[in-house]
Amino acid sequence: MSGYFGGVIVILSLNVILAYAIFLPVASGQLNLGGAAFQAVGAYTAGFLSTSYDLAVGPSLALSVLAGGLVALFFSFIILRTRSVYLVLATFAFSEFVSGVIVNIDALGGSVGLSVSTHISGTVVLVAAVIAAAIVLLFMQTRLGLATRAIHDDDLVSELMGIGVRWTRVIAFTLGGLLAGLAGGLYAFYFNFVDIQSFDAASSIYLLLFVLLGGTQTFWGPLVGAAFFTIVPELLRSAISAAPALAHALGVTGELDSSWRFIILGALTVAMMIVRPEGAITRIGLSRLQAALFPSRLRKRPA
Amino acid sequence: MIVLIVQQLINGVMLGAIYVTVALAFNLTVGILNFLNFTIPSVFMLAAVIAGAAEERGLPFGLSGPLSWSAALGVGLAAGLLASLLVERLTFRYLKTRYGDATEHAIPLVSSLGFLLVFQNLARLFFGTQPHSFTSPIADANLRVSGLIVSAPQLLSLAIALSIVVAVTWILRVTRIGRALRAIAENPDATLLMGVDVKRIVPVVFALAGVLCGVAAAIFAVNYGQVYSGMGDEIGNKAVAGMVLGGLGSIWGAVVGGLIVGVAETLSIQFLGGDSVQAVVWGLLLLALVLRPEGIFGHHAIGKGKL
Amino acid sequence: MSQRDVILTLQKVSKSFSGLTVLDHLSFEVRAGERVALIGPNGAGKTTVFNVISGAYLADEGAIVLDGQDIVSKPPRARARMGLARSFQNIRLMPHLSVVENVMIGQHSRARGLADLLTPLWLTRNRHWRQEAEERLRSFGLDTYPHVVTSNLPYGVRKKIEVVRALMSHPKVLLLDEPAAGLDPRETHDLQEFLLGVAAQGVTLLVIEHDMSLVRGLCEHTIVLNFGRKIFDGPTSAVHEDPQVLEAYLGPQDAEPARRLAVGGG
Repeated sequence: MSGYFGGVIVILSLNVILAYAIFLPVASGQLNLGGAAFQAVGAYTAGFLSTSYDLAVGPSLALSVLAGGLVALFFSFIILRTRSVYLVLATFAFSEFVSGVIVNIDALGGSVGLSVSTHISGTVVLVAAVIAAAIVLLFMQTRLGLATRAIHDDDLVSELMGIGVRWTRVIAFTLGGLLAGLAGGLYAFYFNFVDIQSFDAASSIYLLLFVLLGGTQTFWGPLVGAAFFTIVPELLRSAISAAPALAHALGVTGELDSSWRFIILGALTVAMMIVRPEGAITRIGLSRLQAALFPSRLRKRPA
Repeated sequence: MIVLIVQQLINGVMLGAIYVTVALAFNLTVGILNFLNFTIPSVFMLAAVIAGAAEERGLPFGLSGPLSWSAALGVGLAAGLLASLLVERLTFRYLKTRYGDATEHAIPLVSSLGFLLVFQNLARLFFGTQPHSFTSPIADANLRVSGLIVSAPQLLSLAIALSIVVAVTWILRVTRIGRALRAIAENPDATLLMGVDVKRIVPVVFALAGVLCGVAAAIFAVNYGQVYSGMGDEIGNKAVAGMVLGGLGSIWGAVVGGLIVGVAETLSIQFLGGDSVQAVVWGLLLLALVLRPEGIFGHHAIGKGKL
Repeated sequence: MSQRDVILTLQKVSKSFSGLTVLDHLSFEVRAGERVALIGPNGAGKTTVFNVISGAYLADEGAIVLDGQDIVSKPPRARARMGLARSFQNIRLMPHLSVVENVMIGQHSRARGLADLLTPLWLTRNRHWRQEAEERLRSFGLDTYPHVVTSNLPYGVRKKIEVVRALMSHPKVLLLDEPAAGLDPRETHDLQEFLLGVAAQGVTLLVIEHDMSLVRGLCEHTIVLNFGRKIFDGPTSAVHEDPQVLEAYLGPQDAEPARRLAVGGG
């Protein structure tokens, strides 16, 4: 897998893994504004182990997954003692904290970045994304997955039904951390360069927003969100690069490249929160689609 | 050594004045409307950057030449106010809770994140990432007090910030609008039933927040002589930390929290180097969230959406 | 009436909110297999009793004993696992879950161990959960739309689904908060028959209700609450004669003529 198309597939795969990493806590009712920070934990773990200890890709990836998961476990266990509004703030603080710390650690490249020599192919990333998505799908079909969705709707009644709300949230958050760590490790080995600017607060916000816009009621929402917000910017990129003259005429002086991607997502977010805050893919929408496609009484339930 | 520390404390308190003002804007929205408005740091940045542009190039479409520093600050303030009202118009006003579930309570927050991305990146597109200078005649006046340097702008900023806090407290406690705002904070449904036109009063909170951001932007521009599009990220965000440290929903919390963040920043620059600031400030906040999440003056009423 | 063991006891349970006393040293006993009605004027504290028993609120003082175990300081999910289930006055189904999924949430307190929690529900070993849920819904006549998300269903249907959900934990004690509210007389009669069947299987019922026909048809024992205090605790047939009850519902001036009427009538 190579070339421009292959590159897009890789970015899409990484975004899918990250989308599910955010989806799990959100599905249990917790917004996570630190997704990119957990990815950074994984990326730097993999990069560091590979360059300083010459660890092979397999073990490095495994440890980057573990690192993401452990940090998420520790973090959520402690923070989830408090009310959920503080979790949002804590994840935001965490993403700033991680950037702030890494910038100072020279062994991790500081503000310059860390080069990683071993390269993995795009196919590995794609396969990992498929496996990650499958794991999330299976999880959502377990009793714990059902409990996660119940907590999102009504955590008090869930508790009265016998669900351990705090534990379920910690588990969802930790699973998300494992996935984010995986995305980080894969990033390190594919792009061969890890710098803290790629994992800043804006990236975390971008990630959360496209997951929410895709829809967090079903398994398919994050996939749609990731696909839309990976592919559409790529399509627009060619259009934008053909119109610099127009941009200058409007008074734009700064760099065009990434800013418009954020502006589109931001504007779409505001619009969606007004007209369809539950996201593009909803349970009711999916049911209607299935009813239209398979109009028999014995139909399988939506995922 | 003591002199050094005290000097940094003074600098920190002055820096803190900016944080206090932005934190107050944030805190008012949280306390009265139960809404975490993440757009506020970027409104602060917009006000500053637009003031800088006004001083440099004048108003758009050639309405007038480069403006004087005070007029430019006024334009910046107006920009902050308008931006904040725009956010109100397109986020809060549309909130309809149908199920009362977790995602619904977060809708305004998510909207504010969308606005944050838009404002930040529009600024980056139109003003670039480099700093623009902002000149004002009072920038260089300094006072010397027993070996310590206190600049006039710094002193002025502190005075302005403190008077704002007093003014806001007075507004909330004495005026009719203030009482309506406090009633909404306590119990929005009852307030509606008592005939208060909540729909007309909510924009007042946003307007106040916008003005506060504009004032904070003015303080920054005059003190540091420059503005840049990354300001929201680097400075505005830290005001959020100050707010949480002081306690969500508490005015004095915003004051104390903002000052703590300012002092922590200058002390860590002095003793640990410029790169350590982010880690120190946010690490401090994380610690506070673990040990005492409601902050110094906070109370437990903040939680699931009220309005 | 044979002497059955006491299954639920409240002893001097009190609860206040911001200085307002809602429950005032409340004590009563419920025997296993009994069908008890909890009635009283609005604001008497009936739902608060349920909230305190189920653990949504912690009692300020007093003891609550379920099946011999003191539960007053146990978290809600422990109480659920001990055989306590309830339905809610304002229906609280999960709006984004389907009918079957809502009902299966009720089974959660019976799930044991990682295998039950972490294996997909469509695996053979787990199919019984769904089958049980669907079977129960069928017996209640609710099997027409198992996969529909509950938020759009009619009120009466959602009320019944809530009761089925409560039954899924195989409770020993079932707390029902106004189960007949919004149901027409025929539906109320169906509900009564259904609940009698449930009680016949050994489930103890504690029912908050305003519909006196359901109370008389279903519950042999009635407790009346007023201002957080118990003012009557005895056979349902004697309720309408009790002077304190009449005064609580009708006010002192109207109680006297009503009492004379009640004694004369039936």
